[in-house]
Amino acid sequence: MLTLLAGLLLSVLLTAAPSALRAGSVTPAAVTVRVLMPSPFVDATAPLVAAFNREHQDLRISVDRGPLDTESISDLASGSLLLGSAPYDLLMMDVSWTARYVAAGWLDPLEELLGGDPQSAMEPGARLGNAFGGHLWRMPLTGDTGLLYWRTDLMERAPRTTEELERIAARLQREGKVRWGYVWQGRQFEGFSCVMLEVLHAFGGRWWEPDGGRAGGHTALDSKAAIAAASWLEGLIQRGISPAAVADFAENEALQVFAAGDAAFLRNWPYAWQEIAKGGGPVVGKVGVSTVVSAPGVRSGGTLGTWGLSLLHGSAHPHEAAKVIRWFTGPETQKALVLDQGYAPTWSALYDDPELQRRHPLLAVQREALRQGPLVRPLTPLYAQLSDLLQRHGNGMLSGAAAPAQAMAASQHDSAVLVASASGGAIRGATTKAQATAQGPTTWVAQAQR
Amino acid sequence: MTRSWRPSLLMLPALALLAVVFLWPLLQVAWLSSQASSVLTGLTPVANNGANWQRLLADGRFWSDARFTLRFALVSVALELLLGLGMALLMHRPGQGRGLLRAAVLLPWALPGTVLALGWRWIFNDPYGPLNTLIQSLGGQPYGFLATPSTTWLFVVLADVWKSTPFVALLLLAGLQSIPAELEECLRLEGAGGLQILRRLTLPLLTPWITLAMIFRLAQALGLFDLVQVLTRGGPAGSTESLALYAYLQAMRFLDFGYTATVVLATFLLLALLTLLGLAMLRRRPGQPASQEPGLP
Repeated sequence: MLTLLAGLLLSVLLTAAPSALRAGSVTPAAVTVRVLMPSPFVDATAPLVAAFNREHQDLRISVDRGPLDTESISDLASGSLLLGSAPYDLLMMDVSWTARYVAAGWLDPLEELLGGDPQSAMEPGARLGNAFGGHLWRMPLTGDTGLLYWRTDLMERAPRTTEELERIAARLQREGKVRWGYVWQGRQFEGFSCVMLEVLHAFGGRWWEPDGGRAGGHTALDSKAAIAAASWLEGLIQRGISPAAVADFAENEALQVFAAGDAAFLRNWPYAWQEIAKGGGPVVGKVGVSTVVSAPGVRSGGTLGTWGLSLLHGSAHPHEAAKVIRWFTGPETQKALVLDQGYAPTWSALYDDPELQRRHPLLAVQREALRQGPLVRPLTPLYAQLSDLLQRHGNGMLSGAAAPAQAMAASQHDSAVLVASASGGAIRGATTKAQATAQGPTTWVAQAQR
Repeated sequence: MTRSWRPSLLMLPALALLAVVFLWPLLQVAWLSSQASSVLTGLTPVANNGANWQRLLADGRFWSDARFTLRFALVSVALELLLGLGMALLMHRPGQGRGLLRAAVLLPWALPGTVLALGWRWIFNDPYGPLNTLIQSLGGQPYGFLATPSTTWLFVVLADVWKSTPFVALLLLAGLQSIPAELEECLRLEGAGGLQILRRLTLPLLTPWITLAMIFRLAQALGLFDLVQVLTRGGPAGSTESLALYAYLQAMRFLDFGYTATVVLATFLLLALLTLLGLAMLRRRPGQPASQEPGLP
């Protein structure tokens, strides 16, 4: 515990020190808005932020570089938020954090600061996961969803169903064209939860059924469809379509195998397109992208993996921060990011832009994925725990420690215990007390009960 | 009168410091472990009548993490002591290049834990890592070093042994150098062989150093965090999740501080109990084995 606290203190000092130095060079009248972002976003937006700071005398953006890994940056942000007033005004948030951060009372709603319906001109799919309990908490900068990458030199068109994917993969493996059929993310981490969500829906199953309960819903992981979904995933390894190593694959490990020409299909995010091109490996120019597959007769989508900006509670200048949000997530910035970085935008107008369409062929697929109805991970403050449970049991299944039905039953059981704990006697008492003090953090509880 | 309270007075600053940095946080953690404090209570602590402790007793994950942590610590520290002793004996022997050898041995210890874990992650990569490349070039199938729940912990041990053996070796080398050379000479003159010298002279006189190294390493190994956080993230299937990693997840990712406090306190109590048991076992052996040998100083 002590080392943990010392670590937190150190990380705060480290992040606070450079910006204190930077602040010295700014004219006293200028308001500085501090943003914490994962390092790839810092690099991608650095020229745009520099241009913004040159053009604005009264408003400056100061960017703090966070770690690359999604969960690590949340850990870093949580650490500083727990110490009281955060040193940042804005946080670049993953879509799966929204409910938890709202329940912890760390965010301020955006609708009044931004005015009107700030998301109305965005693709409907990109608007998901930003509102919770009747408020808007986050403006998305990217419109990422899970995608299927395939080899244009090995097949005419992308498969549409799980069966077709497996058939093509098996044939290519038999013919010796590729070593493996399909690579994806099976490591015990958040990315595996995204894969699981896609496969669950691809077989007509559900992870989360919203209800009026205190946790906002309950899990349905032991349904027939859910077990069929898990069995398919596990079967891919059993039948040799996917290497046993997928049980330890995150995005980059899977990308590595596909980019080396060793696999026919890859499940990944939009960023992989540019990565493969940059890598200069044997598959450059031979890669197609399509929406993810589902079982015959089921219509499904890819997991929503958007990043967006949120206003942290306690920011000294929320109005200036809102201005920065509007600029950062606005169409101009997003257009530059599509052109420079290949990011998937959120604004419908950018998907209609002929210049962008020509220069970035992925856009058409990305729009289709957003229109198909991307999948939002369970919108509940308990999401991190639910995801962790599914990862553990699911990874056990992939590494041969448990059969699919067993793993899903265990996930369901543990998730049910967790959700039930949310309505336990002691915590009900807690709600009464918290409601009496009328604190922001419990807003979601009150709203869920309505 | 003045004499009797003066020692206590002089100890007061030290005691006060201990109370501030050790006792106070401990009491606070104990208090928090009796509260519900999570996203469900808006991070406000609310008494929950020992529900955290009930949950801990029924929490299979805590106990399986405890088993892994203990198994990891015992096996890795035992291996480090054995190998460290061997290395120390080698480094102690006069010969050419001794200085270079001592410097080279220190390298793994000087590497930051996370860098080392990333390195091992690449070595264990399936199928492109060096180990699997070797296996495949010999005609074998790639092995899931980090994807096999029954064996992955052994590779965590391997990575730890690689890093920490030099530390043990250096500590034991210091011990070896404190043994007067005349004693060994004396034994040799009386016709003792190398093994006999090791068993009758070196090991007994080295015991305090071995104990010291063991205590240092056990304390570190039981707090295992950075290696598994980077190398395995507690996977596969949670088989390499240490107690420290579990506490970290509960706090930083799940924001469940009441239960984190319970896990931390239970871990502390468990380790304190083990340390006491270990100390008792050490004390039960009366005197140094060396003194039981007549003929030896």
